[in-house]
Parts: sequence; C-alpha cells; structure tokens
Amino acid sequence: MERIIASFVSALRENGIRVSPGESLDAVQALALCGMEGRKSSRQLLRLTLVKNVNDIPTFNEVFNRFFSRFKFVDPQNEIADLMDAAIINMEGEFNYLDQLPGDDHDEGGPLLKLDSDINPEDLAELKSLTEIDPDDTEGMEIVVQMKGYRGKAKKAPRPTRRYTQNPLTIELNKSNSVQMGITFTVEEQIAMQDVVSRMMMRLRKDMKRMKNNQNRGKLHVIKTIQKNYRHDMVPFQVALRRKRREKPRLVVLCDVSFSVSHASRFMLLLLHTLQNQHLDVRSFIFNREIAEITEMLANMPVNDLMEAIDVGDIVDLDENSSFGQVFLAFKKRYLENLRGRPAFIILGDARNNYDEANDWVLDEIREKARYMLWLTPEERDTWSRGDCLMDIYGAYCDKVEVVKTVDDLSLVVEDLLRDIYADHADPIDRKRLLEAKAAEIYDSKDYYTRGAGGNSEPVFDPAGRSHW
Amino acid sequence: MITEQVVKDLLNTSGYIADEAIATAVFLALHMEKPILIEGPPGVGKTGLAKALSSALDFPLVRLQCYEGIDEGKALYDWEYGKQLLYTQLLRTQLDTYLSVSADLREAVERLSAEESLFFSKNFLVQRPILRSFLSEKRSLLLIDEIDRSDDEFEALLLECLSDFQVSIPELGVIEAKRKPLTILTSNGTRMISDALRRRCLYLYIGYPELDREVAIVRAKFPDLCETLARRMVEFLRKVRELNLRKPPSVSETLDWAQVLSILKATQLTPEVVANTVGVIAKHQTDLQKVTELATQELSATWNG
Repeated sequence: MERIIASFVSALRENGIRVSPGESLDAVQALALCGMEGRKSSRQLLRLTLVKNVNDIPTFNEVFNRFFSRFKFVDPQNEIADLMDAAIINMEGEFNYLDQLPGDDHDEGGPLLKLDSDINPEDLAELKSLTEIDPDDTEGMEIVVQMKGYRGKAKKAPRPTRRYTQNPLTIELNKSNSVQMGITFTVEEQIAMQDVVSRMMMRLRKDMKRMKNNQNRGKLHVIKTIQKNYRHDMVPFQVALRRKRREKPRLVVLCDVSFSVSHASRFMLLLLHTLQNQHLDVRSFIFNREIAEITEMLANMPVNDLMEAIDVGDIVDLDENSSFGQVFLAFKKRYLENLRGRPAFIILGDARNNYDEANDWVLDEIREKARYMLWLTPEERDTWSRGDCLMDIYGAYCDKVEVVKTVDDLSLVVEDLLRDIYADHADPIDRKRLLEAKAAEIYDSKDYYTRGAGGNSEPVFDPAGRSHW
Repeated sequence: MITEQVVKDLLNTSGYIADEAIATAVFLALHMEKPILIEGPPGVGKTGLAKALSSALDFPLVRLQCYEGIDEGKALYDWEYGKQLLYTQLLRTQLDTYLSVSADLREAVERLSAEESLFFSKNFLVQRPILRSFLSEKRSLLLIDEIDRSDDEFEALLLECLSDFQVSIPELGVIEAKRKPLTILTSNGTRMISDALRRRCLYLYIGYPELDREVAIVRAKFPDLCETLARRMVEFLRKVRELNLRKPPSVSETLDWAQVLSILKATQLTPEVVANTVGVIAKHQTDLQKVTELATQELSATWNG
C-alpha cells in the first residue's frame, strides 16, 4: 500500500500539488486507521490528508480518477497487455475495490493506455512506459498510433518565438525606441533598470528618513514599562513606548501581457522584478484572457526565463483575445478575498476588451479594498474612445490614469505612487512636507515635457487667494 | 472505538448535520491526534462544528479568537507580575528570617537564588487558552478561530504547539500536553495560511451544503417549521446564491430566515413574504434589490402555476 500511495503522491506532484513526505505518511496512517471500505471514502481520506488548498481539490479529483481507475490496454500483441494486467493487479492487490462504483458522480472513466512494444516485465512495476492516448487514435498504422502517444504535451501548435506587434501605435513606438525588441532583456537593459530603480529608491529613502524617526514614536506602553522596571522597584528607569507599526507599502499589480501592449508590460515586469528586492510587498499578476499570479516566480526565477515562459504561453494562454472583463471577474473570484491590508492597485493595459462584456462593476469592488487605483496605458488619450477601448469606462473607477511610454515614465509614476502611500502613513507634518516636495517636482519645467500627457495642466489653487498673474 | 458513523450520529444528536467528509475528518483528527484546518465561506458552520463536537464528545471547549496583533502573551501564557510582586511584599518578613541565618551577603544570595524557581513557577503562570487546553485533565477541544486574522508571526508561534502539542517557556522548560486536545482551526481565507501550518493539519473544506442536508439542518434546528416550506425556502436560497451577490446568504442566514418565518408563522413562500423579510438574507443594498426581483420572478410564477 505504501508504494501505491507513494506513486499516487508523485502523480499529484507532477500535476503541481505540493505534497510533503509527512503528509504522505499521514495518508498511509489514515488509510490504516479507517480501513479501506470503498472508493469514495478512500478518496476522502486521501483528500483530507494530502490536499491543503481549496484550489487544488479539482486537480486532486482528476488525478485520483485517472490514477485509480481500471486501465484498458490497446495493444496488437495481446501477451503484453495480459502481462500488464497481471502486473497491475499484482501491484494493486488490496486496491481492487477501487474499481468504479456505479452512481459515483465525481468519477469519469479512466484513460486508455498505450504500451511500448519493447517493454520489459521489470519495467512494468514502474508503470513508467505508459503513455496516454486518445480513444479515437487507436486506429490506423501502429507506428502512427505510437507517434500520437509520444506527442503528449507538445500538442500545441508551435508559436513564433518573437512577438510581433499588431498595433500601429506600438510599431511606431518601436521605431522611436531604436533598441531591438527581443523577448528577453539584454544585460544593459537590466542594468539600466536597476539603475532607474535604485535612483528612485534613493530619492524615496531621502524622504522616508525624515519621517522614520517620527513614525516610530508612540505613546507610553504602561504594562511593558512596569514589566521592564519591575527590577527597579517600579521606578521607571527604562521607558517602553508603544511602537507604531511601520507598514510596508503594499502593491498589487495586474499586468496585461497580450501582444498589443507587450512592449510596455515587458518593462513593467522588469521593474517589478527589480522592485522585488526592495522593501515592498508586491503581488504581481499577469493576464491575457486568464489571470495568473507570478509573485513567486518573479522572486525566484531569472527574469529572462520568466519572460520566455510567459512568451511561450506556459503561464497564461496568449493565443486568446485579451478580455479585461473576464480577467476582473476571475480576479474577484480567486484573489480579491485574499488581499491583505489596503493595497494600491496598478493595472497596466490598453483596456481593449475585444468587445467582450465590460464587467466594470468588479472594479467598483476592487476600489473598496484598494487604497489607490492607478491605470497605466501605453496609448495616447486621443485613441481611448476608438474601437473596442473601454478606457473611459474603466478610467472612471481609477484615481488616476497615466500614459506611460518609456521606462522613465513608468518609474516616475511608480515613484509618485509609493510616495503617496508613504505619505498616507506619515504624521501630518511629514505629509505636508512630502506633498510640497511632490508639488514642486511636478512643476519642474524640465519634468513637464518628459512626463507625457500625464502631467497636470490645471492651475493650482493658491490657498492664500492670490492670483498667479 | 468511535467510528465515522458514530461521529456522525453524535453530531446529529447535538443538532449538527454532518456529511461524510466532515465525519471522516473528525474521526481522523480524534485518532491521529492532528489538528483540522477548516476553510470555507463565512457562516457555513465552521465554528458551529467545534461547538457541536465539544458538546457531543463532552470535551470542554477552549476558544481562542484570533485578531491582528495577537501574541503569545494572549494565546499561550503570561507571567502574573502583580501577584509575584505582592508575594514578595507579603513574604518579606519570612525572607528576612530565612536569610538572617546566612553568614554573609554571598551566602544570602546563594540561598535566595536556590529558591528563585519559586517565583517562576506554575503558581505565577497565567494560562492562556492554548496552555489551558494542554493542561486540562480531561481531553479538551481547542478552537483557534479565524486564524487568518492573526499575523504571520503568530502562525509561526503556533507551529510548535500544533505539531508536538507542547509549549516552551524559557523559565520553566518544555511543558507537554497532558491530554492532546482535539484542535480545530478555522479560516475564512482573507489571507493565505502558510504551507508550514497547512502541512501540520488535516484540511477540510466546508462549502454550502447540498439541498437535502440543508433542509435537514433547518429541520433539526426548527422542528416546527413544516417540511415543504423548509424545502421551498432552501431551494429559493440556493437560487439566490447563484445570483452573484456581494454577500451570498450562507447557512447561518438560512437558519435566521427559518427562525423569522417560524416566528411570523408563515405557511407559504410568496414574493410578499420574501420582500418583508429580505433583510435577513441579503446584507447589501444592491443585493436586496436582486433578491426581491428574483422572488417576484421565481415565486409568483409558481404561485400562478
């Protein structure tokens, strides 16, 4: 039995469920305790002990059905099929009861299996040489059938390795941006981004330092002070103050990776990767039609490997049309409840919904959870109302919509956002100082032109009531 | 030996209608002495399971409600500084006589430090929920409620307690549980629980119950509500859950509604009844509207037919 559990666990692991050795031991113990009374109860036992996440339950059911189902063998030479059957029965032994029970609604029939014809009886124990084939594929020449069996995961049509741009705007952008647009980043690009980010963090840190001292100071913590001065007979030599929590700025980034915005999302991802090392709590998601979280991958994978994985479509399918409505809905379902604190949201995308349902009410709910919502789009304002672009609808829910076209734009926008978040936590005095510093920066004449259309063109209201003229 | 069926029947008698997954989980937790981590939408009876279990198995319930900022002083143990201080004051004369026999200061210090452990003994230890359940003479039921509200640090603190059922107190050493409590953790999923904690627990997901079980739950709580009305009610609520509401009604809302209907002595589910009592099932303004609309659609159709 232990062997069967072990191979079942490895099947689970192959399907992306993380199972620790301790948990497989639990499973064995649980099966021993409850006895094996039927397929349904065994599935329950295994699920209780091996699966620790709701989202993994469908995968588990699928793997369970595939693993513990009667295999049917398709093979021209019957001897091997018989041998195989014998081996399986031998191996399953007490697991015979796992045959399908009628009326069990979670079950589906097991897949048909294909045997390699040069199989050794020793190999049978490992069950390694089994490959799945489609029931429709069993006809035709043997070699064809075998070839089909081998294709396995590579069933998807090959994709061009380099993305092409569809949007005339982006083609133009590419021209101006004389750097060749590969999928992966060159060393120079990475260094440049690190440079941008470190400059950004330096500027921020300068402001933060000013606030830090004030921020930590709090009221007297009476109990802790008494405890601390207990040995001094309650004479408060040492004072314990309540620490204010210093919150990390929390960010949630949703990044469109479809072709039309690939040039912008590329840099966004690089920026995120570089930011990951800083003192920030960032959760990153990418989407096209489906959405996936890449926070872990950004932290642990080399950025170029990640970019390639995204480009091949391993993480989200890139062949589909992007749909913001679907993505928002999926995001609400899967992640919105799990967000801690009040994060700032950054959404990067062109809001081109391919005429799908807008689902803009989800943004309203996200807004409730978010401290701040920022939409970044690579398209100029003039094009927002053309075609399937829903920028005007989505933009209404955001605190700010910014046009970003270069790395510098992007870093300026993110820096502003971080500064806003820090300012939110700061003491009133610091907040005022920070905002003043920011205001001065916006009206820096040099800055005005480099910031694109995002800059504020309205005159400032002077609280003293004096006219600017 | 308690089998799964016995667990199920026990829970039934205390008014909790369990399905097989729940019964199996409880059975395993009892025998493997492992905590159960229960997740699921709010109001499906996660805490209710713990309460029902404690009364069914006659385990005293020790409840620890988690919140942001909870620490070991609130969850495990604390020293009673006031009492320690009071005792030193009161025992001053005894101490004087006790120490007066010593020849010099060095000897006095040695004598005193020999008795040091007196002041850091269990007498001065305040037992917080986890330690209290560990030290209980009878096997107890430890409910760690809404673990997702606590901080990551607190979760890490729980790891030792939950895997080995012991508490390390620097002054006293390791205190092991006398009887390992049946431990239940609940989470609403407002934050992901770390894998380390999940690994130490059995994992049970309680979703919305099936039609028959929900009817049975209603019938168990309100036996005077007639069967057909209960069924109509539950069927309607199941449709409401599919409406994509901000806060879909859960089992606790079903029970509230059943109570309201039995107080109002309603015999039939009509759009008017729903409109009058909609505040019990929908908790947002936009939801109210959707539910009343559904009621006019669904219920008047059957009314006419």
